[in-house]
Amino acid sequence: MESRAYAVELKIPDNEAYTAMRALARLGIPVARVERADLLVIASDESDDMLRERIEHDERLFNPNKHRLERLSDMRPREGEVWVEMLDAPRSAPLRRLVSWRLFDQAGKPLGGEELDAACARLLCNSAIERAIR
Amino acid sequence: MKARVAVLVFPGTNSEVETRDLLVDCGADARIVHWSEAASLAYYDAFVLPGGFAYEDRIRAGAIAAHDAMLDAVIEGSEAGKLVMGICNGAQILLEAGLAPGTGAIRRPTAAFTHNIQGHFICQRVLLRRDAAAERCAIAAALPQDALIPAWAAHGQGRLAASSEHLEEIERGGYVVFRYADVRGATGAHLAPQGSALGAAALTNRRGNVLALMPHPERDAWNFNHLDRREGEDVLAPSGGSALFESFVTALERM
Repeated sequence: MESRAYAVELKIPDNEAYTAMRALARLGIPVARVERADLLVIASDESDDMLRERIEHDERLFNPNKHRLERLSDMRPREGEVWVEMLDAPRSAPLRRLVSWRLFDQAGKPLGGEELDAACARLLCNSAIERAIR
Repeated sequence: MKARVAVLVFPGTNSEVETRDLLVDCGADARIVHWSEAASLAYYDAFVLPGGFAYEDRIRAGAIAAHDAMLDAVIEGSEAGKLVMGICNGAQILLEAGLAPGTGAIRRPTAAFTHNIQGHFICQRVLLRRDAAAERCAIAAALPQDALIPAWAAHGQGRLAASSEHLEEIERGGYVVFRYADVRGATGAHLAPQGSALGAAALTNRRGNVLALMPHPERDAWNFNHLDRREGEDVLAPSGGSALFESFVTALERM
């Protein structure tokens, strides 16, 4: 079965991302914008259209009034992005749920490795219960 | 002079009134302090972080509050030996802040109270047995050994989780102050309604001046909390859960 990743993002203002940005700034991490998404990694033989339709009609995962759905072309985080997953979540489950955080600096560039590491270690990921995927 | 206790309120805290009232009933000068008043915290002898959903549980339960300016004062106070008790969301904040079990650096958590094993919120009356020696945690020291305290487990994220190394350190170091128990006082991981590791309901720190307690004793603290009370009973009389708060105030008076 093929694994595919979908991002469920808010299309209304994301208060959680804003709060994360304020908290990271308080920690001295030079972040000016934070994007957050719920990631769904799904192992399925269904077509992309069918899978999209299933997600968009599952009220536990998707609300058309406030979410947009995007299929990720790559199965790994982009520059300036970290995926956070619970340590006890089975990695072979047919549906894996992760959280994506993407951090940008004042110039709109994705945050570099050292700063992203600090953001993970100090706020975005509690390594006692979560793993950060970079 | 009565001990001065600050009951901390973050945006989303919701159990501050009954927590303050119970502290007052137990003899403390307890006052509610809001997140915008962090500068006033140095005035207080002790801190209590009540339950709720601080900062709407954004990122993780307790994660944002652990970095709030209020916690700067709590961390400074705990390092100076002041007593700190967190209940439910307050306990989650103390673990995120690294104050309990405190086996790592400050604000680098080594454990968490995280999602219940059943994957949803639970609300049920539980019994907690004091399972640490009196000298291990000042806040619970005035309770009789093996005391059974009634409380309400009302949380979606109350399961203690950590790496096996850290759990071993927590167990070996006597950090578990209360465990879930049955009416005979027996304990065991199977009695933790949310699957909490070690059957733990509450953790202290190395110094024993911090208590992070998941269930709510303040919701079983007066007779009016009991639907099965008898006709004519004083509804404002204290009941089982108040014993922990009495112990907390006793510890403050001895300091």
